[in-house]
Amino acid sequence: MLAIEPSYDDIPPGVLRRMGKSVRMGTGAAMPIVKNNPKPDGIIIGTANSGKEDCVKFLNQIIEYDEGLLTPINFVQSTPNAIAAQIGLLTNNHGYNITHVHLGLAFEFAIIDADMMLNENPLNSYLLGAVDDISNYNYNYEDKNGWYKKEAFTNKPFYETNSPGSIAGEAAAMFLVNGNRSGSIAKLLAVDALHDEDESVMKEKLQDFIRKYLPAGERIDLLLTGENGDSRLLKYYSICESVVENNVSVARFKHMSGEYPTATAMGLWLCCNILQNQSIPGHMMKYAAATTRYKNILIYNNYKGIQHSFILVSE
Amino acid sequence: MGGISAIGNTVAENRTSLIKGTCGMGRLEMFPSKFSDRLPVAEIKISTEALKEKLNAFEPGITRTTLLALHAIKETIADSRLTNEQVSSFDTALIGASTVGGMCLTDEMQRDAQKDTPGSEYLASYDYGSTYMYLQKRYSLNGPVNTINTACSSSANAIMFGARLIRSGKVRRAIVGGVDSLAKFTINGFNSLHILSPDLCTPFDEERKGLNLGEGAAFLILEREEDATGKKIYASISGYANANDAYHTSSLSDEGIGPYKAMRDALVSAKLDPAQIDFINAHGTGTENNDKSESRAMLRLFGKVPAFASTKANIGHTLGASGAIEALYCILSLVQQELYPGINFKNPIPETGLEPIPTYQKTALTHIMSNSFGFGGNCSSLIFSKA
Repeated sequence: MLAIEPSYDDIPPGVLRRMGKSVRMGTGAAMPIVKNNPKPDGIIIGTANSGKEDCVKFLNQIIEYDEGLLTPINFVQSTPNAIAAQIGLLTNNHGYNITHVHLGLAFEFAIIDADMMLNENPLNSYLLGAVDDISNYNYNYEDKNGWYKKEAFTNKPFYETNSPGSIAGEAAAMFLVNGNRSGSIAKLLAVDALHDEDESVMKEKLQDFIRKYLPAGERIDLLLTGENGDSRLLKYYSICESVVENNVSVARFKHMSGEYPTATAMGLWLCCNILQNQSIPGHMMKYAAATTRYKNILIYNNYKGIQHSFILVSE
Repeated sequence: MGGISAIGNTVAENRTSLIKGTCGMGRLEMFPSKFSDRLPVAEIKISTEALKEKLNAFEPGITRTTLLALHAIKETIADSRLTNEQVSSFDTALIGASTVGGMCLTDEMQRDAQKDTPGSEYLASYDYGSTYMYLQKRYSLNGPVNTINTACSSSANAIMFGARLIRSGKVRRAIVGGVDSLAKFTINGFNSLHILSPDLCTPFDEERKGLNLGEGAAFLILEREEDATGKKIYASISGYANANDAYHTSSLSDEGIGPYKAMRDALVSAKLDPAQIDFINAHGTGTENNDKSESRAMLRLFGKVPAFASTKANIGHTLGASGAIEALYCILSLVQQELYPGINFKNPIPETGLEPIPTYQKTALTHIMSNSFGFGGNCSSLIFSKA
């Protein structure tokens, strides 16, 4: 599922044409935020496979030219910190600049980092985001490892395909975060992660998470999951749905985004939309409970059956 | 602490070599490359197969990068006397770094990327996080495990992130560090930028021609002060900062804006004046650009620049491992109250007149600063203080 890219008017053409796809999408998503707000005090990005395309282009050069004199652009663009670096470069931002790359939890650690930065510097604001792209190359690694569907299908029965694998996706999502309630679209209440294949460990962790972070007397109004059509992972999503009460709406988003390591960033972006507009597109709903108002949203995602993330967002 | 580099397989061996002024550069031998005879590299003379034997690590898909990390982390954990329960505890984090990851398998990576080749055992190993996912499994770690990649400042940022996790109360202790192995990918990449020296690198020298690549790994265990009573405390992290140069994707600004800000902010975070820094372990890669920019930033910040040197003349530029290995060296200096000579230096950069310390010396040391500056303008500075 390839991203539909806009015309990137905020990026100078000379710079744009040299950018790898992740850097282009990440910078493109970040620029409108940075242009329309006071300069953030830092840039915190999560990505797992950014730069792989340039990496393999450079590797191909190594083979083709037998280690002769090669052009460096692909090498320089192949480092995952190129996204955060490029945004910093274009906006002359000398603040904190970091890239987290821990696969399916790269965005979650970026959130934790931003959270710590705001606790350490309560008056600051940070650009927080995540990007991953599909390139011919990283697609081939994942495909050969069995993470994508082997059969053809259309989007509609995506979640009912009952076969292993999902579809590849790519996206960039960027946020401006600060410690300020007023003027904010959403509040990130809590984020936690787990590295385990055992469903019972996951169940316990989720129960603890809700117990610890859902404000007293409040309920979860929506469960947004990263269910991705991979039949092997359904058990985790079933558990998640069973832990959350019966009359909670459940929605899914990977039929729009596809599967990639930092997909939860898209989930968070959707949460912000839902909280602002107080509505959810029908095609996202798995179970529509009678919800009058969306206040607290729980995002649960699972990456390759082993990296779990739990994010609680509220108005 | 634990570490491995071209000048030693353990912390103690590294120290002996540093005192002697050993240069770890030599011929590339572990994999075939056109550059074997043209570019000196600081290679660890243990083959990948030998590492697997030594560490009893034969899992399919395991890479040299992971093996080097495992080697260093084994020493670290043994040295720490932490129990298995403490290591696996949910309140122990592992924060690591790597810029090469599984890309040390350059040829396999290229082959697997083609559509019609069958997949090798390394399909899931090429990314940067797989080393730490492996360690998580091997040591049954239940706490947070994360990987950071900010090019050459990666492990400095990993150390910083671990320290901040502890400070925020999210964990009680953190295993922090980094690893990188030599790879055809990085050798060719740096060569294409014309910043590799055909000779032994000479940090801060007026005739410097570039850097030599190296490989290695190092890890430290950070704990809260209140948990460390009764234990052997090597040093404390008293300050740190991360700033961005925002000038160019692969070189630093002439004035060293990013380096200056990282060093200055680290001092502020440590509540120290520049004059209180006894020694700087400089990033000092030996490239025309870095050494000049770093020198200018040091002069601007310190006025009278403290004693400094770059250990990259001994172990090469270990990329994602450099922040961690160099932190280890700073801590050794503090524990032993000694400084190691800046080797392979002849004449200063005329504009700055700055000279690394020439000889081994026993001297009183309280605060040491360690710099790591990477591509993308990612600049980090750490300050270590005597325990």
